[in-house]
Amino acid sequence: MKNTNLLTAKILILSVLIFFSCSKDKDDTGGNTGGGVDRSEMLTFIADDIILPSYAGFKIKMDEMVEKSNDFNANPTSSTLSSFRQAWVDAYTEWQKIELFDVGPAEKHTLRNFFNIYPTTIHTTATINGTNNGIIENIASGNENLNLPINYSAQGFPALDYLLNGIGDSDDAILAEYTTAPDAQAKLAYVKKVVDQMNFKFNQTYNEWTAGYRDQFVSKTSLDIYSSTSLLVNGFVLNYERFIRSGKFANPSGAMSSSPNAYPEDVEAFYKKDLSRTLAITAHQASVDFFNGKSVKTGIEGNSLKTYLNAIEAKDLKSGKPLVDTLNGQFKAIAGAMNTLNPSLETEIRTNNQAMIDVYSKLQTATRMLKVDMTSAMSITITYTDNDGD
Amino acid sequence: MKTYFERTISAAPLAVFRIGLGFMLLFGIIRFWSKGWIEDLYINPKCYFPFYGFEFVVPLGNYTYILFAVCGISALLFALGLCYRLASISLFLSFTYIELIDKSTYLNHYYFISMICLLMIFLPAHAFFSIDAKLNKNLHSGYVPAWTVDSIKVFVSMLYIFAAIAKINSDWLLHAQPLKIWLIARNDMPVIGFLFNYKWTPYLFSWFGFLYDLTIPFFLWNKKTRLGAYAAVIVFHVFTSLLFPIGMFPYIMIVTALIFFSEDFHLILLSQLNKLFKGQKEFISTSNNYAFKHLNQNIIIILFSLFFFIQLLLPFRYLLYPGQLFWTEEGFRFSWRVMLIEKAGYAEFKVRDAVSGKWVIVNNNEFLTKLQEKMMATQPDMILQYAHLLRDHYAKKGFEKPQVFVDSYVTLNGRLGRVLVDPNTDLAAQVESFNHKSWILSYND
Repeated sequence: MKNTNLLTAKILILSVLIFFSCSKDKDDTGGNTGGGVDRSEMLTFIADDIILPSYAGFKIKMDEMVEKSNDFNANPTSSTLSSFRQAWVDAYTEWQKIELFDVGPAEKHTLRNFFNIYPTTIHTTATINGTNNGIIENIASGNENLNLPINYSAQGFPALDYLLNGIGDSDDAILAEYTTAPDAQAKLAYVKKVVDQMNFKFNQTYNEWTAGYRDQFVSKTSLDIYSSTSLLVNGFVLNYERFIRSGKFANPSGAMSSSPNAYPEDVEAFYKKDLSRTLAITAHQASVDFFNGKSVKTGIEGNSLKTYLNAIEAKDLKSGKPLVDTLNGQFKAIAGAMNTLNPSLETEIRTNNQAMIDVYSKLQTATRMLKVDMTSAMSITITYTDNDGD
Repeated sequence: MKTYFERTISAAPLAVFRIGLGFMLLFGIIRFWSKGWIEDLYINPKCYFPFYGFEFVVPLGNYTYILFAVCGISALLFALGLCYRLASISLFLSFTYIELIDKSTYLNHYYFISMICLLMIFLPAHAFFSIDAKLNKNLHSGYVPAWTVDSIKVFVSMLYIFAAIAKINSDWLLHAQPLKIWLIARNDMPVIGFLFNYKWTPYLFSWFGFLYDLTIPFFLWNKKTRLGAYAAVIVFHVFTSLLFPIGMFPYIMIVTALIFFSEDFHLILLSQLNKLFKGQKEFISTSNNYAFKHLNQNIIIILFSLFFFIQLLLPFRYLLYPGQLFWTEEGFRFSWRVMLIEKAGYAEFKVRDAVSGKWVIVNNNEFLTKLQEKMMATQPDMILQYAHLLRDHYAKKGFEKPQVFVDSYVTLNGRLGRVLVDPNTDLAAQVESFNHKSWILSYND
């Protein structure tokens, strides 16, 4: 009796194996879902054609800004100020193309915190933990620690925005702050310190990417909570939700608190006045290009979230419409709405805030699709405990 | 019928089950503890989601460690059969208490363990091969009533069969969802990963899973097919444990299914153990009969009948509610619906001062852990609990007559997301009950 049972078991296991191996041969061409399901290929393309070239592009602008900052520091004139400002505009715009890669070294070193926390803190009456935490206090102190969270909003592009564009009423007045003012040297020193900090933090992240993280990134192909795809997508969606939707639109327009309280002075690059729309459009386009896998090197689309979602057939079970098409339709609507805004989002809020709120609503729709439909279709895990799927 | 309740069988299967379950639970507690989950799930969160009617079950702060220690020690005593009655009661109470603290940690197999522990309180699993039996010659028995072992088998069979019935829906059988989503996510697995790139794989797995759940109790029960069936149990559960993050469940089921094996099998197993621990031969060869007092046996049989009757009805209670079960989840839990839906959601709450009109959008991270937020966003009863929590919180912060509205968006088994809860309903004014929640928007598919 026992022998027959054992035999049954063996036959059962054997038949399952045979079934699998036979079916494999038969369906090798017809049944395969086709290319694009290989996450290793996707991660390789994203690393080599999108993230690393984007970092390389930012490095050029960053180096340029460091150089112009040094020129200004050595000899503050209206000419060096003007070059420094232009380099700042270029670098700030380029930054929008790398802020979304909140994964690996950038996440570990919380790169964003040293580059783009706004509105910037010019002056504060509260001193926390015995350290200063406004630009004015930091200039006066001269020994502030820019690594402390309390100083995040007193450095980076937003602090430079104030120092280059907002510290005086006119260009002459601004220049005077760095030449004839009693604390001109302290101000120059602070500008240098902020730029050096940015340069150091960026190079730290970029070097770690090229010196080993790239290979680790490409090899972690699973979809669990610590996998590259999961971290990358979570960082991308977080950036989209909190730093494009909320930071650039919802917060200054007051869309997420009791209307009619808008906060026009909370727009990005507030002191530059005419840059905020460009930054928003650039950031959003970078997110769209990343989603569609547009190579930064060639401009041609490759393996990406788009090809992966299409390969796993992410589409509405009911209508059959691919999720990618739904998302790209929404992205297009957002880009169109952003283009009609005033180059100064502050002006837009003061004159026609409803247009800002409309962009916010469109971003909100896309956020939900990215956060819910896309991550669910990809089966990206956000928790680490046991789960039985309900 | 009377003769059935008088029938006896060897006490060995029940003893093996006691030992297996006890050590599995002890290991489960140690695993949970060592992963730091006690802190993550029961100490760190700022708020909790108790079950309706069990709001008196509150988190214990740092004393939660003591609760887990009690549970672990009870599991050990349970396995050893030392102070069995007390240990089984304390195991049931401590384990169930833990599971009742927060809905967001609900798993069907935790519920299974709670219910099995409840049954075990009344069964003479300590009558054989236990320390209690060693110390108490009157207790020591080689035979127990057959219905005691059968009730475990029946309960396990119910789990499988209800799990199969739950799979009879178009998503599972016709669209191979959610396996279509889940399997391809594992296509980078060594050796078998490539299988998940084929379109037919999720269909094969869906149908195999359904047929497995439906037939495995019968094949296990039948002597001729038992060994093959047990091999299938091992293959199936090991496979699921490789594919999905379902923790201890596969191993508990593999150990549990041993209960279907013959008396001889369990006796051989125990005599090997006995040899290992150099026990006397008489320890596993007593011909004593464990007999309940007549009245006790009748009471227990009535209670068990009631228990099984309720267990038979619970999975069908969803029929009392309108709407799609997977969407509303009214009557979803406690029904052996395992691995059935891929659901994800987004819920943004707005709290409004009804007097001044001022309002805020809530940052969920301020109140909930990632797990809690994920679970809350797709389950209407948790959305309501959270809304009440926000109402009370903002009332304390000076909001007069706070109203709570939710902007919700949920995707189910690969359908494009849509709104789950009526955004115009003031959830602060809604009351939890077993009635249908009329503010859940309908799902026409």
